Amino acid sequence: MSLEKITDPRNMKHWLGHMETDYRYTLGIAGERFLNEIKENARIMGSKCKKCGVIYVPPRMYCEECFEKLEEWVDLGINGEVYTYTVAYLDREGKRLAEPVIYALITFGDAFGGLVHKLGEVKPEEVWIGMPVEAVFKPPYERKGSITDIKYFKPIQ
Amino acid sequence: MSEVAIVGVGCVGFKSIMPELSYKELMFEAAVKAYEDAGGINPRKDVDAFVTCAEDYWEGFSIFDEFVPDQLGAVLRHLFTVSGDGLLGLANAYMLIKTGHFDIVVLEAHSKASDILTFYDIVAFAMDPVMVRPLGGNPYYIAGMEMNRYLCETGTTIEQCAQVVVKNKRNALANPYAAYGANITLDQVLWSEPCFYPLKKLEISPLSDGCVVMVLASEKVAKKLTDTPIWVEGVGWATETPNLETRDWGRAVYTELAAEMAYKTAGITCPSREIDFVELSDLFAYKELQHLEALKLCKYGEAGMLLEDGIITKDGDLPVNVSGGCLGMGYALEASGMQRLLEVVLQLRGKAEGRQIPDAEVGLAHTWRGIPTATGAVAILSNIKE
Repeated sequence: MSLEKITDPRNMKHWLGHMETDYRYTLGIAGERFLNEIKENARIMGSKCKKCGVIYVPPRMYCEECFEKLEEWVDLGINGEVYTYTVAYLDREGKRLAEPVIYALITFGDAFGGLVHKLGEVKPEEVWIGMPVEAVFKPPYERKGSITDIKYFKPIQ
Repeated sequence: MSEVAIVGVGCVGFKSIMPELSYKELMFEAAVKAYEDAGGINPRKDVDAFVTCAEDYWEGFSIFDEFVPDQLGAVLRHLFTVSGDGLLGLANAYMLIKTGHFDIVVLEAHSKASDILTFYDIVAFAMDPVMVRPLGGNPYYIAGMEMNRYLCETGTTIEQCAQVVVKNKRNALANPYAAYGANITLDQVLWSEPCFYPLKKLEISPLSDGCVVMVLASEKVAKKLTDTPIWVEGVGWATETPNLETRDWGRAVYTELAAEMAYKTAGITCPSREIDFVELSDLFAYKELQHLEALKLCKYGEAGMLLEDGIITKDGDLPVNVSGGCLGMGYALEASGMQRLLEVVLQLRGKAEGRQIPDAEVGLAHTWRGIPTATGAVAILSNIKE
């Protein structure tokens, strides 16, 4: 505690720091195949457990229920459904966005899981839980094996 | 096995900013109060082990564990840090005493959130780097998505969620440790800025600074240190899954599992009858209702009606967040659970002053580690020894 009365908090002694870290996140076998399929073939794949039949999306190498290794792949197509969504009005710094962004969890039939992604070509007030949507991919030459190779999901007309 | 009691508490804060103190000084001041409260113990010789709770990125350190001993009187003594909320630290402290090898254990958690200049960046670093992070944006969108699904599944209304804010901020007015007490109306909450539809600005707990230190003791030592030991009857914790894609977006499964574990240890079979009051995580207004259901204090989807019927207000049958919760005290990062625990201890001691719940005997403290986690912890406390 200071003995003197503090009248201006800007005079508080502090030190500004910056934590700089860079990483290389290994995709692994399942992640690499999943993102490569999006890049090369514009399709969304899941991995299936032979024992319990559950299909994981995003795909994994192992079943969290059976603890089995997963080696079977399933093409889930590009159509899904909005499981839940939100309209984000704030950016990373907490400032108002000029245009709100719609985020959603998209599920694919009976597959376990889904993809968190953005919605496009739709107004916030037109979105509903359960709405059928399809993936819109970037053109092949712009894809680089990232989840953002999918531009967004849009309503199926 | 020995019973475990909380015999001393010390709190500094909570305030929106405490620029005059460093995190070490915050911890020191709370520790001095706690040791005094525990019959004047000397940390340099009386304490068998120290448990602190901190997450490196909140602190701006790598391996923050190394930076905690001196301000607690724990230099060259036995200390470890839990990378989690204070209630997870409580579980560790509880287990240490249960081994029979430790008689006095000190527990600490703090928040110096005002030192974090890019809070949402740190939250974003908690998301999957390959599948989610590249989408960018403010990571609190996860809360908007969860609230939307919760409302859809349960039929809970936006008015009921907003009413939680009115209640908790009003409760906080009677709590000297609360940073954000206010007398506001339902309309003010409903018309506050939309942030992550359907979540509004006033439904999001603002960050706060503060620190809570507690002293725990075995049964034989507890009675020497205090006349009012508060007994830890049970603890529980659980993590559902880190995967946003496969988690349950309606139910707080992590809280259901943590509560089951705590109830089992405490021998509680009918929570709504056996528990007198609850302090739980209301980091976002809807979370109070969702967590109340997950704690099995009512059926899934019925918490909103409990609120409307006045059951969870200060004077109701099951008061919830009389302290003001996170909405009233401020979101104190890993100290959030300690805020809840502190209120339970004060109530059970009969020292909650203007907000005292009459005849409180059994209280529940609950916490959630916030976006994007699915981790929660529960503790059951009582002022009566079975």
